[in-house]
Amino acid sequence: MDGNSSTPRITCAYLNQYVGKLVTVVGKVVQLRGEEATIDADGTIHAYLNREAHLSANNGVQLIGKVNPDLSIKVLSSIDLGQGVDYSLANAVVEVTHRYKPLFLYEN
Amino acid sequence: MAGYGGYGGGDAGGFMAGSQQGGSQGGGSKYADESLRPVTIKQLLDWEDTYPGMDPTIDGHPITQVTIVGQVRSVKPQPTNITYKIDDGTGAIDVKKWVDSEAQGEGENGSGAGAIAPDAFVRVWGRLKSLGGKKHVSANFIRQIEDFNEVNYHLLEATYVHLFFSKGAAGAGGAKQDGGGDSMFVDQGYGAGGGGADVAMGGAGPGGGNSAMRARLATCSRNAQTICNFINNSPGGTEGVNLHVIAQGTRMNVRDIVNAADELLGQGIIYTTQDDETWAILDY
Repeated sequence: MDGNSSTPRITCAYLNQYVGKLVTVVGKVVQLRGEEATIDADGTIHAYLNREAHLSANNGVQLIGKVNPDLSIKVLSSIDLGQGVDYSLANAVVEVTHRYKPLFLYEN
Repeated sequence: MAGYGGYGGGDAGGFMAGSQQGGSQGGGSKYADESLRPVTIKQLLDWEDTYPGMDPTIDGHPITQVTIVGQVRSVKPQPTNITYKIDDGTGAIDVKKWVDSEAQGEGENGSGAGAIAPDAFVRVWGRLKSLGGKKHVSANFIRQIEDFNEVNYHLLEATYVHLFFSKGAAGAGGAKQDGGGDSMFVDQGYGAGGGGADVAMGGAGPGGGNSAMRARLATCSRNAQTICNFINNSPGGTEGVNLHVIAQGTRMNVRDIVNAADELLGQGIIYTTQDDETWAILDY
């Protein structure tokens, strides 16, 4: 990733605005099935994991990936956040990101 | 608020430590102008230096020390420094941590840079530098983040400080007594602006002599405090600031401003000048 690009933090509700783009999602792992995962980020998101992913159900996770046309996410990088993630805080950051875009994201 | 205050205190500690190092390397910069501001990486990248050696500013205010939080994307050890690429989702920037030759061998015990691995979340304190159009942060200190919530906390804090500088202090909350006042934008009023804006506002008070006015202002509505701050920060002086200028600057609607101005007039904080829609601060 080079300098002037951002991976906006989004929740489920913003998926359709970011089809084909890289995004960051913080959510809770609801279900794991092989290389597919269901994530709760203020709504259910379907994610296709890569081989390096090491997630555990019920833990928090940060995914960075590309939004597919069917609003699933092709994950490029994931990191387990363990327990104790404040999801309402994460969702608040998403709202702030979109209210004060100049601080957080490049429009392109 | 209590939790926030706790965090603020922590950052204030970081500021003290950082500024001492900074003072010796900062050359001409004045100690009183030192501050530690939480920012997003995009804010750093968006600043454009129009001439070499220019002091960086964000939202029209000079920045000295900054703190960023992000994920390490790459680690490149160099002979004199370690260069990290830090990405916080808003952008990515190089962070250079100079190798302290005397402290070598202490890499493992947390404070050393050697312990930081790719993909870890880190908090960085440092200064923004621009060399030949390429920006980097010269880090005083890097530490790994234990609690992921600090990442989100930092982003909200960066937004808060941005709004503080661009729109004035929040009218409500614990900051009211000191912060509702007028002096925090003057000169170095924000100089202590580490994590806790409360601290900053309570700090320097170069305005002087208008504590009575501040006490009165504290009883006013949020709108009234906002426009009072705005008028105070405008160059109008005794000629006053017009309604339309206020409307443009604060993005409030005209009716709210007129109501708030009535309130301030009633309190004797402002007075009308050229016409009924132009006001100046009485204690100016």
